[in-house]
Amino acid sequence: MVGRRDFFKGAAAGAAGLVVGGSAAPTETEAAVVPRPSVLPPTEADVQAEFGLPRAEASGVALQQEGTAQVTTESEPASDFMVDVLKKLDFEYAAINPGSAFVGLHESFITYTGNKNPELLTCLHEEAAIAMSHGYAKAAGKPMLAMVHGVVGLLHGSMALFQAWADRVPLFLIVGMHRNPTGIVNLPHSAQDLGIIVRDFVKFDDETTTLERFAESAMRAYEIAMTPPRGPVMLVVPTELQEERISRRERPRVPELARLSPPVGDPNAVREVARMLVNAETPLLMPRKVARTQQGWDAMIELGELLQCPVDPGGYGSWQNFPTWHPLWGNGGSAYRPDVTVAMEMNDMSQLARNARAQGRKTISISCEHLFGHSNIHDYGRYAEVDLIIAADAEATLPTLIEEVKKLVTADKRRAFEERGTRVAAAHRDAHARFIDTTRYGWDASPISVPRMIGELSEQIKNDDWALVSGSQFTIETQRRLMNFDRHYRYNGDNGGFGVGYDTPASMGAALAHSKRGRLPIAIVGDGDLNFSPGSLWTAAHHHIPLLYVVHNNRAYHAEVMIVQRMSGNRGRGSGHAHVGTTISDPNINYSQMAKGYGMYAEGPIENPKDLAGAFSRALERVRKGEPALVDVIAQPR
Amino acid sequence: MAKHFIVLIAVAVMTATASAQGPSSAARPSGDTARGKQLFEKTYRCYACHGFDGQTGSPRLVPMPMTEQAFVAFLRKPPREAMPKFVDVPEQDLVDVYAYVKSIPVAAPPADSIPILKDVLQRRSQTTQRAR
Repeated sequence: MVGRRDFFKGAAAGAAGLVVGGSAAPTETEAAVVPRPSVLPPTEADVQAEFGLPRAEASGVALQQEGTAQVTTESEPASDFMVDVLKKLDFEYAAINPGSAFVGLHESFITYTGNKNPELLTCLHEEAAIAMSHGYAKAAGKPMLAMVHGVVGLLHGSMALFQAWADRVPLFLIVGMHRNPTGIVNLPHSAQDLGIIVRDFVKFDDETTTLERFAESAMRAYEIAMTPPRGPVMLVVPTELQEERISRRERPRVPELARLSPPVGDPNAVREVARMLVNAETPLLMPRKVARTQQGWDAMIELGELLQCPVDPGGYGSWQNFPTWHPLWGNGGSAYRPDVTVAMEMNDMSQLARNARAQGRKTISISCEHLFGHSNIHDYGRYAEVDLIIAADAEATLPTLIEEVKKLVTADKRRAFEERGTRVAAAHRDAHARFIDTTRYGWDASPISVPRMIGELSEQIKNDDWALVSGSQFTIETQRRLMNFDRHYRYNGDNGGFGVGYDTPASMGAALAHSKRGRLPIAIVGDGDLNFSPGSLWTAAHHHIPLLYVVHNNRAYHAEVMIVQRMSGNRGRGSGHAHVGTTISDPNINYSQMAKGYGMYAEGPIENPKDLAGAFSRALERVRKGEPALVDVIAQPR
Repeated sequence: MAKHFIVLIAVAVMTATASAQGPSSAARPSGDTARGKQLFEKTYRCYACHGFDGQTGSPRLVPMPMTEQAFVAFLRKPPREAMPKFVDVPEQDLVDVYAYVKSIPVAAPPADSIPILKDVLQRRSQTTQRAR
């Protein structure tokens, strides 16, 4: 409920700026207290009548003789307090596209805390800002702050918010909003319930109507975002609240953030899983979004090696989870028929479970997906008829599972496991060799083959501590065969929601996190993805984010070319028009020129595979020195 | 995963079809190679799945194991939905595409003659040994 007093409070603050500029001395007519349409700014007399204070003082700014402003020392902007609350959450960065609805916070970040912890990152689109936070969170293991404008900024950013939701990644979003809008600009940027726009794909949202509530909600939001199943959270912070002035006495206490512990599987159920795995002839582990940390990575390897069974991390939608060149990596080969499959953090194992059940095999799901409560978006998958569900965080449950397995492994079992491991390793070796054999075809082709592109890149970075910060881009199999993903951070996972436009900005966020740890960030982005957010290149250049962009330029949305071809064929209406609406040619886009225009070092378009090594080498030289670079590669579709 | 499975099936079917045709698979194509290349690249955009030269995509078309007759029949009625049906396309177009595909030379040097691939194989082998 907005009252007259609230209205005048906000309007007075806005009007103060005009007075400070020295252009609006009140006239006698204005000074008269008469009812007027609410869209007009209040006069001095209005403010005095409402607050008993001169207008400038009511807004916390004292007038001086020459019309310049002097900040009072008795009070402080409420947004300074908000920043103190947010600093408790240890944000390194805040990705923003500027908006007047959070200008109070914006000013506090750059002035009150000197643009440090968090440092503001200027993004040229809200989707880029939130996607950048998405990529960062996976690489850093904690959220990046993002701030957007009311309604319009949130709508722009909503796609990236959805992707983070579907990827189960924590984001901390602040949306500024004029609670009491007075002008034609701010009115459409205000809403009765802003959160409803994105509530289906955030874990928590709140409009913080008081400073106490802001402080509590900030802590609560962070806790919710970081507790598995993780996800984005959002606080709507009214502009008026940010711009209030509060006295020292009115300043609420900054709460302490509780230490968080993830949900761990029930010990009895975990013991049962261990028993099934140890007694299985052909167990299979299928981790998806499991290894967030080095500990999780080490635990996955320990469990796989303990059981000497294949570990199949899957493709799209998975994190790295397991070393790709490890002899147990993969599904054990086509002859391996798992009798017990333990899937971890897999959000749709319906087909897997149905097939297994039909053949008398067992499936188990260890996942915090079972703790999810939202229902509108169908990203939770179909109902899976598994034999046992453990609703818990898989990574946090792994140590218990390992200990239970160790208790059950006898000498006889260990010998049998070793024999199994030898067979699995042979299958892995053969599959790798077969794949390498396919990569030699078209090795010198132009457009450049995907294996050649990945191979040349791999060769250049093999002695670096690299991290692939983009999604799979349809080339994940080639990446995994040609590049040694031997650390948990080598691959940052995909976009989560199968939406285009994630890779270019999200890679920047991940690159920031990795570069602080001395790693070399690499992104392989499609031309289709890059065109969703080309302005990200400027952000990378402006903030000196070390990152190599390799543009897999196939001049089309190639998945769609194939789908349209199929549809035409199925309908018997010719297959010769699939390029209409699907290709990005005529004219061809020069991404090298585009990047240079944004201030980034760039090479290309590279059409001759023999030119790749030099281009990568020169670009990587820039990246190793702390700058972004781009190489545009004219490549085969897949 | 499903897509890969379908692709494997398609390759198996193509190979099996070729085997069934026996020696006739060596018959000289009757189509127009140059026109076939145009159709492959510009009209039917076969490159979208199979690569511009028929050997970098999936499934690989080169060396083409099918006879012309089997190739046309395959395109008219593919066994799996991953492959578009070319039901209403003039037969001459398919014959010309076949001629082009058949004419593409295999460009696949041995893996151990490509330094990058040789290095990948060696490094993977060393990594695997350490893991064991």
